[in-house]
Amino acid sequence: MRGATATRWAACVTAVALAATGCGGGSDSAGASGAVLSSSWTDPQNPLEPANTNEVQGGKVLSMIFRGLKQYDPRTGEAKNMLAERIETSDSRRYTVTLKDGWTFSDGEKVTAKSFVDAWNYGASLRNNQKNAYFFSYIEGYDKVHPARGEQSAETMSGLRTVDDRTFTVTLSQKFSGFPDTLGYNAFVPLPRAFYDDRAGWLAKPVGNGPYTVESYTKGSEMRLTKWGDYPGPDAARNDGVTLKVYTDNNTAYTDLMAGNLDLVDDVPAQQLKNVRGDLGDRYLNTPAGIIQTLAFPYYDKNWNKAGSVKVRQGLSRAIDRRQITETIFQKTRTPATDWTSPVLGAEGGYKAGLCGAWCEYDAAAAKKLIKEGGGLPGGQVKITYNADTGSHKLWVDAVCNSINNALGNDRACVGNPIGTFADFRSKSTTQKLSGPFRAGWQMDYPLTQNFLQPLYYTNASSNDGKWSSPEFDRLVDRANAETDPARSVRMFQQAEEVVRDQMAAIPLWYQNGSAGWSQRLSNVTLNPFSVPVYDQIKVG
Amino acid sequence: MPEQPFPPEGAIAGAGPGGAMDLTASEAGTLERHPRDPGADGSPAPPPGPDAPDPAGGRPRSLWSDAWRDLRRNPVFVVSSLIILFLVLISLWPSAIAPGNPLACDLAKAQQGSGPGHPFGYDGQGCDVYTRTVYGARTSVAVGVLATLGVAVLGSVLGALAGFFGGPWDAVLSRVTDIFFAIPVVLGGLVLLSVVTSTSVWPVIGFIVLLGWPQISRIARGAVITAQQHDYVQAARALGASSPRVLLRHIAPNAVAPVIVVSTIALGTYIALEATLSYLGVGLKPPSVSWGIDISAASPYVRNAPHALLWPSGALAVTVLAFIMLGDAVRDALDPKLR
Repeated sequence: MRGATATRWAACVTAVALAATGCGGGSDSAGASGAVLSSSWTDPQNPLEPANTNEVQGGKVLSMIFRGLKQYDPRTGEAKNMLAERIETSDSRRYTVTLKDGWTFSDGEKVTAKSFVDAWNYGASLRNNQKNAYFFSYIEGYDKVHPARGEQSAETMSGLRTVDDRTFTVTLSQKFSGFPDTLGYNAFVPLPRAFYDDRAGWLAKPVGNGPYTVESYTKGSEMRLTKWGDYPGPDAARNDGVTLKVYTDNNTAYTDLMAGNLDLVDDVPAQQLKNVRGDLGDRYLNTPAGIIQTLAFPYYDKNWNKAGSVKVRQGLSRAIDRRQITETIFQKTRTPATDWTSPVLGAEGGYKAGLCGAWCEYDAAAAKKLIKEGGGLPGGQVKITYNADTGSHKLWVDAVCNSINNALGNDRACVGNPIGTFADFRSKSTTQKLSGPFRAGWQMDYPLTQNFLQPLYYTNASSNDGKWSSPEFDRLVDRANAETDPARSVRMFQQAEEVVRDQMAAIPLWYQNGSAGWSQRLSNVTLNPFSVPVYDQIKVG
Repeated sequence: MPEQPFPPEGAIAGAGPGGAMDLTASEAGTLERHPRDPGADGSPAPPPGPDAPDPAGGRPRSLWSDAWRDLRRNPVFVVSSLIILFLVLISLWPSAIAPGNPLACDLAKAQQGSGPGHPFGYDGQGCDVYTRTVYGARTSVAVGVLATLGVAVLGSVLGALAGFFGGPWDAVLSRVTDIFFAIPVVLGGLVLLSVVTSTSVWPVIGFIVLLGWPQISRIARGAVITAQQHDYVQAARALGASSPRVLLRHIAPNAVAPVIVVSTIALGTYIALEATLSYLGVGLKPPSVSWGIDISAASPYVRNAPHALLWPSGALAVTVLAFIMLGDAVRDALDPKLR
């Protein structure tokens, strides 16, 4: 009975779709609103300037309204040419970028080499104070437009030169063979003239060159995106639009999905993981993503940076039963980590299963022995600091603490130390105010080993909140970046990763999967390696 | 004797509550509560005579002995005090009925139902729900009792001083009371307690005292003002008694009953408030064991492991109910006018 109803529905929808195609689709007909899907979302941290958006929710919109030189394959994560016809180099330092013809912004302006060069100079400039400015730091002249201190002494980076409408050159300050692969990141997209002419107007209703255009945005409520009919790219939207609805609690979004008020949830709450198969059946997806969760340590605190600290950290790592926690708390939507990167990179890209070896395997007796040899826990207790506002962190921190307590036979060896909000937690960790291990999650910006290591462990790197420092690691990373052969570069990064392992700079916990659940209206729902739904491929009806 | 309009100072000082009935009971009530008429106190009239606990012939009963006699016959009081007695005992010796360790959790048993030796099953982290529920009583009772004591002492002292001295003191204190009344309790808790990092019960108790005293203060102030107008107080003043003596000896004993009544009822609500704050993550913090913390942790699992939510919630509900019932019974006994 149920099946029959569903079939009839499907037939009707197909008929409507055929009729629409027959009428010469593409134009905004009244019937188009039927194929718009709604998806859970939260307000982005900042207005949607590409170089100022470094969090997932803003990035989600940017990936719908912009296309860059490269686009990461939604399935493999491989960086493929999108606007770039070719990116050539002979020495991994001087790159020549040639654009494809025929790309325009949705306001009609042609995408030229200047669109890129101006946007990158804007993003790097100290005056514009963009969060992603450090992505441009490899380009020659960055230190002039974005000096570590003082005023900027140049307006544009000397390493960027426009040759003609479709060609520009990029000169880096050091060799970096992975540079073309980073160019799919949001910070590197082109910007139209409208952005510079009327920035406030543009921010209110951004204009890009992607498969969708922003129709309206009400902060705290929703953003409506509609399909751009004249989109010149190969990945035109297969639905008529997406409405992103703001939810402050993923449990509410899940309830709305169950109630039929929402089509797509891209963050299934951990507490519902046990029910999600029963609730949604095959309308649920659980797939690896480029996210790793680790415990970082405060190396600026001498308690955690003394002679025996390495053994204490190794002991803590061996006291955590990753397998049981990922199975029980996360219902296998996390995978126990055995290195410091992510399986989505693939073995060729630098993921090396088992690199951590025994140090990431649970062994209570060994853990106890190591911690004792290392001089015991500083102060007799570890406090794991985390932010309590996003649902699942408390669950696993409590479970990790219980695991450590059980291993050490001391029910007060480890306690969780919640901090109310993510913003507060971030400001405390980035200003070195934490006094014990703390949660450190890393979602890759682009699928390269370099992105999992350098920003987190290089001396004084942008996200090295614990201030870990190892001259040997730095040296190996510099050499790996300069290496032109990708395979050798990856091997060198893995050597650097072994330094991280030997020092147990951070305890790897697990690789996080992306998860999504959707309504019966949708089909062809996938998540890309960044755990963001591939909206343009979703079919409605 | 209780009806004696001008008790000699010595009599009040000695018997204390000699005039207490004047405060809480109206003239009618005074008559109704004639010590020699046990059936007139409103409770179902027992057969007069043999079981009427009538001590030495003409000895007058005080408000307190009267109240105690009422209470003993009130089934609500008997039931609630038995529950409270039990709660106090397990707060002092939880291991007597729960041999386990509330902090020992085994993730392998997460969300399992009841089994031998673990009648309430396990919570989401694999901790024994029975053990945690028993140990949770300690923090709840401790917070409830200590916060009530603090509120009662601070509130009645400030209220009594305001009521007794009046004038600018009263005006200032009343406005301060208004200010504290204007602070929403949960919002205040979220703001004030979120900056506290201690995991002990003291910040929570301190917070409840800080926001709870105005209520008692108002009651005490009103009671003192009422008591002050009675003739025996005027008489004591006329006889040259000093202010502290009048306040402590003549007014306080007659103004304390409503404070006790309100405090006892409030005790239950303070326990609920502690659980609320802990639920919101700003009250007690792990590794403290508290029903609020457990309820908060178990609520998202309600579809899969409802037992982990229901047992601590039930314990909390019974405890709060017991204290509120006790408060009701005490009020009925001390304030017969309300019947």
